Amino acid sequence: MTEEATVFEFKLPDLGEGIHEGELLTWHVEIGQVIDEDAPLVDVETDKAAVTIPSPVGGKVLELVGSAGDTLTVGEVIARIETGDGAASAAPAAAPPAVAQRESAPADSEAAPAPAAMVPPQPAAPAGPRRGPVPAAPATRRLARELGLDIAQIPGSGPAGRVTREDVQRFAAGGLEPVTAVAPDDESAGTGAAPSGIPFFELEPMPDFSQYGAIETKPVRSIRRKVARKLATSMIVVPHVALMDDADVTELEVFRRRERRTDERRLSLLPFVVKAITECLKEHRMFNASLDPQREEIIYKQFYNIGFAADTPRGLIVPVVRDADKKSIIEISAEIYELAVKARDGKIEVKDLQGSTFTITNIGPLGGTRLVPTINYPEVAILGMGRAKPQPVVRDGQIVARTILPLTLAFDHRVADGADSARFMSALVRRLSDPLDWLLAMKG
Amino acid sequence: MPIRDKHEFKVSFLQVLDEDGRVDKQLEPDLSRDQLLELYRGMVLAREADQRMLRLQRQGRLGTFSPSTGQEAAACGPLLALGKADWLVPAFRELGALLMRGVPFNRVLRFWGGWEEGNVFPGVDRTLPIAVIVGSQIPHAAGLGYAVRHRGEKDTAVLTFFGDGATSEGDFHEGMNFAAVWKAPVVFICQNNQWAISTPLNKQTVSESIAQKGLAYGMPVLQVDGNDALAMYRAAKEALDRARAGDGPTFIEAITYRLMMHTTADDPSKYRAEGEVDQWERRDPLVRFRKYLGSKRLWNAQKEEQLRVEVKQYIDDQVKEYETPIDVKPDIIFDLVRGIAHELIEEQRAEFLHRLNDENEDADA
Repeated sequence: MTEEATVFEFKLPDLGEGIHEGELLTWHVEIGQVIDEDAPLVDVETDKAAVTIPSPVGGKVLELVGSAGDTLTVGEVIARIETGDGAASAAPAAAPPAVAQRESAPADSEAAPAPAAMVPPQPAAPAGPRRGPVPAAPATRRLARELGLDIAQIPGSGPAGRVTREDVQRFAAGGLEPVTAVAPDDESAGTGAAPSGIPFFELEPMPDFSQYGAIETKPVRSIRRKVARKLATSMIVVPHVALMDDADVTELEVFRRRERRTDERRLSLLPFVVKAITECLKEHRMFNASLDPQREEIIYKQFYNIGFAADTPRGLIVPVVRDADKKSIIEISAEIYELAVKARDGKIEVKDLQGSTFTITNIGPLGGTRLVPTINYPEVAILGMGRAKPQPVVRDGQIVARTILPLTLAFDHRVADGADSARFMSALVRRLSDPLDWLLAMKG
Repeated sequence: MPIRDKHEFKVSFLQVLDEDGRVDKQLEPDLSRDQLLELYRGMVLAREADQRMLRLQRQGRLGTFSPSTGQEAAACGPLLALGKADWLVPAFRELGALLMRGVPFNRVLRFWGGWEEGNVFPGVDRTLPIAVIVGSQIPHAAGLGYAVRHRGEKDTAVLTFFGDGATSEGDFHEGMNFAAVWKAPVVFICQNNQWAISTPLNKQTVSESIAQKGLAYGMPVLQVDGNDALAMYRAAKEALDRARAGDGPTFIEAITYRLMMHTTADDPSKYRAEGEVDQWERRDPLVRFRKYLGSKRLWNAQKEEQLRVEVKQYIDDQVKEYETPIDVKPDIIFDLVRGIAHELIEEQRAEFLHRLNDENEDADA
């Protein structure tokens, strides 16, 4: 070893098994700082876990790539560290790959190692006509064979150009150009948009807004990204229909206001609606279902977990009241309060956000008169509650002031029809408009 | 005709050192100073090596592996009772057992780095490679035990490890039954670390204990504090002695806890509560044993410091050796599966090399 300074380039390793990217959470060092070998360098969150990566070498930090919130790709250089002042310059920087490479093995096994950071970079996907064997799993090869396709012609979107099942299906549907005809751009291997296969559907690149005025860009991350994906899927996949109605909640409001509690735990309209919804779902089970387009099946759920949209400092999330049909209104109220507090404080657990069968969004208290909500895919329907307020209505030929709650039911027309939705809505409005009658008919 | 009780069974629990390092004088095994220090060194080495492996994995220098931090006593205690003629059949979370057996750390690194060479332990006999496939090693251990008996080897036993998850596998039940029926000299140790990846014990089994499953096969069972190295030694010693004397197999359930992730590819904070981990950190097997050594005036801060330095140096050297390039030999698997060559295997090797050659030519074209 010479005393000469060398620069160690640290490439983001595969932190799990088959991880392609991670979100940068925080750097533990600053540029110019000296870091010891094995001291914490950076925190990165992948699909599987948030982990602290220790520095593989000791030395002076010359460059750190990216800042919190950025997406880092496995294999990309994320830090440059100057080593060589004697001690820190030991093996790793100069050492050839220690982790065995299995260049000829296309399929990963559990014990297959992560590609080492010290491995010289390899092209992510072949840019021209393919040479050598096509990487693909046996099941994918079989699918291609059964469809009478030559797998060598199918462009692969997987890691290292691997042909996936979806690639074969898209290719079979005519959505992809064969590899040999025109060499596709390399973008299919990375984060670039894969061809969608939906006719007339093409995302055009954003115009350069900065030519018109000042802009600020922020990455779409975590909750925002999840919400965006889910709702885009819902809007593209599900034929939405929205039915609107009003519930006269004058009597229910009188009843509700008798409760003495005055703090934020006071009963709101929401738990009443949650309870009423569970009964309506039992009577009209297609609204407590999901359509599986791949299997061409409708899945009817025999549990009633009601999600409610919560506005938190970090964005929209939907906590779930489990088995709401088995709980009293007062229990549902308490649970909604607890979940909302957890959501607000960022302490909600993943299990509190899973398994909903129907969702309610209660925009009323915040503003607006009514809204057409987007279905929380893959559920069949969502109820939007507007603001309950006194309105002039006609009763027995007279104009009287009543408290009106505007309701919108958006539903998946593949599963339910307009008539179903009208019956569902009537059942709901009936309960909310005549609480005494509802109470008398209520089952355990 | 009244119903009468026919059989009654019980499961006993053994602890020698309590959580504060206080020893039960009646149960304290008769171990020499050197043996006690060997056991402690084994546990410290296992802990330090495990932590080093985690950093190497995070740096991309090692593949996925299964950390063993917190389970050192369960793996190392029994090794002190294992003789050279005995067989060791590990699962994949007994780093301490392998190191105490004399397996060079660089071989363990090679294994988790994806090298077939990590299955070969030079200078260490009668030790099977790491078995990642859950429970697959249990019938192997039963078979080895049967072979030992069949060949008339006296004073030889087989020690095998597996986790709580493995007890739900058919291999476990088949292996246990065969060993019991054949009176094979096998000691089965279940490291019950409470979690099978993200499946907690109460979703693994509704039995009161895992130990009682051995009763169904008619072998002696014992539940042991798996974070107590002396108890683990004592239990394994008695079981191994019984096996060597021709009295058949024993099943030991070691109650322990996995302080880290199942493997480096999962995040335990997503499936278990932090409080649970804190509770088990207080039962750390190393802390308890160190207190015990201190109370016997065998240990002090200076000796601890010396040991840590020595262990770190060993680990550094082994990592360096692991990262020293060796030739990639793609057909090494054909060397390692069978003890003696076989024409079918050689045919496969030839075909494999032929294909590899073709692929390389294609790639160079």
